Amino acid sequence: MMESLKLLVPLAWRNLWRNPRRTFITLIVVSIGLWSILALASFMTAWIDSSRESTLRLLIAQGQIHAEGYLDDPNIDHLMQMPDAELEVALNDPAVSNWVTRLELPAVVQSEYKTLPVTMLGVDPDAERRISSIPAKVVEGRYLESMDDDAVIIGLNLADRLKTALGRRVILMVTGSDGWLEERSFDVVGIYDADSGFEDTYVFTGRNAMQKMAKLNGEISQIAFEVPEEEALPGVLETLATAAPELDVREWRKLSLLLGAMDASMGVTIYIWLGVMMVMVSIGIINTQLMAVFERIHEFGLLRALGLKPQHVLTLITLESMLLIGLGVLIGMLAAALTVVGLSDGIDLSAFSKALEAFQSSDVIYMTINPLDYVIFPLAVWGIGVLVALWPARRAAKISPVEAMRHAT
Amino acid sequence: MKPIVSCKGITKVFGKGELAVHALRGIDLDIMEGDFATLAGPSGSGKTTLLNMIGALDHPTDGEVVVDGEALGGMKKAELSDLRLHKIGFIFQAYNLVPVLSARENVEFVLRLLGVSPSKRRSRSDAALAEVGLQGMENRRPSALSGGQQQRVAIARALVARPRIVLADEPTANLDSGTTKELVDLMYRLNQEAGVTFLIGTHDPRVMEYSKRHIEMIDGQIESDTSS
Repeated sequence: MMESLKLLVPLAWRNLWRNPRRTFITLIVVSIGLWSILALASFMTAWIDSSRESTLRLLIAQGQIHAEGYLDDPNIDHLMQMPDAELEVALNDPAVSNWVTRLELPAVVQSEYKTLPVTMLGVDPDAERRISSIPAKVVEGRYLESMDDDAVIIGLNLADRLKTALGRRVILMVTGSDGWLEERSFDVVGIYDADSGFEDTYVFTGRNAMQKMAKLNGEISQIAFEVPEEEALPGVLETLATAAPELDVREWRKLSLLLGAMDASMGVTIYIWLGVMMVMVSIGIINTQLMAVFERIHEFGLLRALGLKPQHVLTLITLESMLLIGLGVLIGMLAAALTVVGLSDGIDLSAFSKALEAFQSSDVIYMTINPLDYVIFPLAVWGIGVLVALWPARRAAKISPVEAMRHAT
Repeated sequence: MKPIVSCKGITKVFGKGELAVHALRGIDLDIMEGDFATLAGPSGSGKTTLLNMIGALDHPTDGEVVVDGEALGGMKKAELSDLRLHKIGFIFQAYNLVPVLSARENVEFVLRLLGVSPSKRRSRSDAALAEVGLQGMENRRPSALSGGQQQRVAIARALVARPRIVLADEPTANLDSGTTKELVDLMYRLNQEAGVTFLIGTHDPRVMEYSKRHIEMIDGQIESDTSS
């Protein structure tokens, strides 16, 4: 076998360059196909990571704890107490990097010009600064100073729709614990800039101030928490669920369905593209290998006449495919890696920021090389390519020498 | 003298029914060790078909071919490949070298298949090339050789493995008179001096002049078989 390979490998390599034009075309097809798969995988991963990071940092964090039934009917009837000692121990474990308590209730906001439905959030400003990006997104005025801060910050778009501004007052109405509608006026002390949907929805105030307004005795509606590593999340969810079995502990995928779907579909999208590219690459390979084989049928007949066995012909053509596709795969990998390195300053998507606003991703996407992608996808392209090329190889190996030698040179 | 090739009742029919073509119609033929035989006849007489049967490149429809004591009927493809490799040398019409290999590599190719060591390969192939007058041209690719030189490489390749018989099918087709004479001289000398057995399919009178045994075929049958 080794002796056969010593004979056939150099022959296969030289045969590749008999028709340089065709070889280059195949190399281009394979390398562009793989490059597009790897570049797409890098871009999609970076984009979805950015989108997930931004969305989770906005409010969701990596998981939340609610009272049972709150997520189905988020009103004052489904609140919970502050975490008990056991839950607090679990939340203060190093596996949880940050956590925060919030009171979130449906509300109505009213300005001199308009009344709009919103979600009112009573927050702990110091804790929020560690877990949420909202404090950093305040573009006018200031963020909340304490849990007793009875001012509000609102989104740019909501301010625009209410025709209000920094320093003006708005009235907020929520249902109190006694079932009566509670209302009071708040100073607008800050305006934040997120995506327009988020800006329209959320109004922030101090948690204690909001509890007082809703006549609550320290009840909250959610605990949001984050973990240092995504891989640690399942274990943390289990620990928290054990510590608070009566509460509803959920990860971000079940809190933001869009984000969860994007995350789940990323792999599918890349594999669909891999499939599309493989069909195109396979057609290219079959086409060129069939041409390469049928042009040389006479020569295969000659080699068979000289004593080359059918399996040697099969090996020779398969080696040619392995070398050709392997070379294309290497070029594709190199091109993809160079693309990622070349775009290390980031891809500026600010021109599409309005269209992509719902995805919450950054305006600049930083692609990275995932080593596993550079193993799986090249192997898949190489393996499938060689498999596809077996068909012309088998046909050439099967043909009898005398039949092959009848073909014109 | 014992026969190297023995054909008994060889028939070959291509196609079926009304379209059937009877290329060989009951050939009985022995080729003896040391023969320098020409197989002549007009186009379509069955020369190439018979050479293909003897060369284990094709199966007869009926009858039996025995090469160096081995009956070819029932042999598997790989066994036939081995038989060709070890016992038969082929010289075809022009353009039958591997274009990506040099003259030396074309000759060495057969030795590599036989598993000959690199040093012996080199010495034997260079000796074979020198024997056919191509010393100094070992590294040239076929495209850098004339038609006559290419056929010399083919002869060196056919002989380098020391086959029991060399089958040549129209080896001088496409060659000019001078080159033809040189080639036939060469084959004849190899037959006379080294005792190599040749069976040459040809309708070239310049080749037939040299033959010690002349087999004439017409319509798939042996019309005459004369020795001089």
